[in-house]
Amino acid sequence: MDELLSQFLIEGRDLVAEAQEALVALSRDPASLAAIDSLFRATHTLKGSVALFDMAPAERLLHAAEARLADVRKGKVPLDPATRDGLVAIIDQTDRWIDAMETRGAIDSDAEAATHRLVALLDSTVTPKGGITDAGENAEPDWLTTLRGRSDFADVDMASARTAFRYTPDPDCFFRGEDPLAIVSGVPALLALAILPADGAWPALADCEPFRCISILEGVAAADADQVRAAFRLVPDQIRIAALAGEATAVPTDQGIRAEPTTSLRIDAARLDKLADQSGELGVAIRALGPLIEKLRASDPLLAAAFTAVEDEIGRTAGAIQRSIAGVRLVSLEPVLRRLPRLAREAAASIGKTIRFSLDGDTVQVDKQIADQLFEPLLHLVRNAIDHGIEPADVRAAQAKPNEGRIALSVVQDGDSVVLTLTDDGRGIDPHAIRTAAVSKGLIDADRAESLGDADALRLIFLPGFSTVATATNLSGRGVGMDAVRTSVERLAGAVAIDSVVGEGTTITLRLPASAIVTPLLIVEVGDQTMGLRLDHILETTRIEASAIQRIGPGHACVLRDQTVPVLDLAVLLGLGETQDAKARLVITDAGAGRTALRVAGFGERFDAVIREAGGLLNAVPSIAGTTMLADGSVLLVLDLPEILA
Amino acid sequence: MNIALAPDMILLSGIASVEDAEPLLAALIDQPGCAIDVTGLDRAHLAIVQLLCAAGRPLVSKPGEGFLRDLPAIGLIQISPR
Repeated sequence: MDELLSQFLIEGRDLVAEAQEALVALSRDPASLAAIDSLFRATHTLKGSVALFDMAPAERLLHAAEARLADVRKGKVPLDPATRDGLVAIIDQTDRWIDAMETRGAIDSDAEAATHRLVALLDSTVTPKGGITDAGENAEPDWLTTLRGRSDFADVDMASARTAFRYTPDPDCFFRGEDPLAIVSGVPALLALAILPADGAWPALADCEPFRCISILEGVAAADADQVRAAFRLVPDQIRIAALAGEATAVPTDQGIRAEPTTSLRIDAARLDKLADQSGELGVAIRALGPLIEKLRASDPLLAAAFTAVEDEIGRTAGAIQRSIAGVRLVSLEPVLRRLPRLAREAAASIGKTIRFSLDGDTVQVDKQIADQLFEPLLHLVRNAIDHGIEPADVRAAQAKPNEGRIALSVVQDGDSVVLTLTDDGRGIDPHAIRTAAVSKGLIDADRAESLGDADALRLIFLPGFSTVATATNLSGRGVGMDAVRTSVERLAGAVAIDSVVGEGTTITLRLPASAIVTPLLIVEVGDQTMGLRLDHILETTRIEASAIQRIGPGHACVLRDQTVPVLDLAVLLGLGETQDAKARLVITDAGAGRTALRVAGFGERFDAVIREAGGLLNAVPSIAGTTMLADGSVLLVLDLPEILA
Repeated sequence: MNIALAPDMILLSGIASVEDAEPLLAALIDQPGCAIDVTGLDRAHLAIVQLLCAAGRPLVSKPGEGFLRDLPAIGLIQISPR
């Protein structure tokens, strides 16, 4: 793929995620200036990005959104729910076009029509904002002219002043517990303040009402109009704000928009992996010092002691580096999860359902590998919930449920794990129906099904080939595909659990390791070498008399528990010669087609390892799944049994 | 807020809330010739400050101290160093 396009796909999606995050924030707090600014920045930058490609409709669409947001920032129009919905639709459409650019290299042929429709939708939401604002007006308001001439401000350095304000507090504001002076003290970079009598002159003390506000506050600040407006966000109807030197009326430039310095750096994951490998090698090199120091100790104990101290220090630092690298691999789940709400809305709309999707805790960090591989199973679960969980509107109405189906995804960190909980308020899953379906599909016999408790019966949906729907749907297909979800999650060393109440909904919980994935391994001797096998590929290990292995046709087999199992010599498969012991040590695996016994020369310890994908020369060896480091610093090759047995 | 009386001087100290406006107004009316020392005044509600403005009397403080230190209240009230 063209490098420019691949960069656009990454950055475009980041910007879409930023925009969606801002829109979510605005749904909670429509006045959030930070969110409006963030949305404006993302939209502006997206517009610039799409302009590099043949995406003219997208550019026009984003321009419309940007123009509206510029008006919102200037206070000309409010950001009401209708406008927000229009902006959500525009960002969703942009996201779809980015997907289209990735899959087809071009946006849809009906893009012009979509742009037209969405711009019209946005235009239909315009209503002038109430309240008072002067920012962006061409003519200078009278109060500003008066303020400029006020002797109180004669000493102010007007060259640095960017914004002037006139705050007329409601006379009864003291009764509401407001202190206008406290509000004004929140104005950033306030240069000068004047407290003026509201009626033009201060009354005689005898005429003063102590609890009535009789003041007007005027001031100038070095902050820009938006920042000053933010300070007065609670009293928008009492404030007039004017940009000095035309600052607020200027067309925003890239320089102005990118006010926040970039503090992050995008690094190719492969470079990070290399760094991790190198830090591992550093650990190995350090461990080689130990034996040398022991030799030295015989001739010069004092020098040896000094070396030991230095060795400890180097070891500690190397450990810290390894932990830092593991930390760098932690990425936020946000980019993965931010796409879900849009896809959920689309999925629901495609089958005529409406849902409300809520997302909580999406900034939890996990290892990059988890983040990369989590999206597919999650999307599958969400689609399942929409398709099979959420009832049609008429059914929901009859059950006094809200018209909109509720689907909530929450992500929490729990120690070393990250727990994702997907809840829907749909029809739930009936364990009796599950038992019946599993029996009718021959996945389980009737007696066994009846003996299962409800919780265990629900887990039957994770069996391959299970489906409770009679007809396939476009959305989630015929097979519910929960076995695929389970497989994906277990591949990430995670676990999936299900809980459901008929009529009330279903909760599916995924628990995954947050940091580097640890894989249980069994060490075996193969020929004269030591290798690792993934424990989840191993059904059992056993020893039998070598004479019990019989030649059958071109191969060998033995009988285990009354079943004939083919026997393969792992050393022969790897080109390491033949294993010849009176006792045959067998690893029984289902990693290939059916059960297979692999003959090895010896069994070693079991341990949890972080497996790195094979790189360099090893990459060319198909039988190697990856490598890991043993306690003595040596490198253990982990075999790829499915590949070897394929 | 604490309101204390000295010869020719009303001394304000502490944090002046909106409730202090009433006793301050009474003190200002009762002591018509007194200047006001705001050196010890840490913070003041607008209800207090607008009374000081309306009183139009000399305010006494040390530069950089008192309730005005956080507000560049140029032209607000003339403050004479104590």
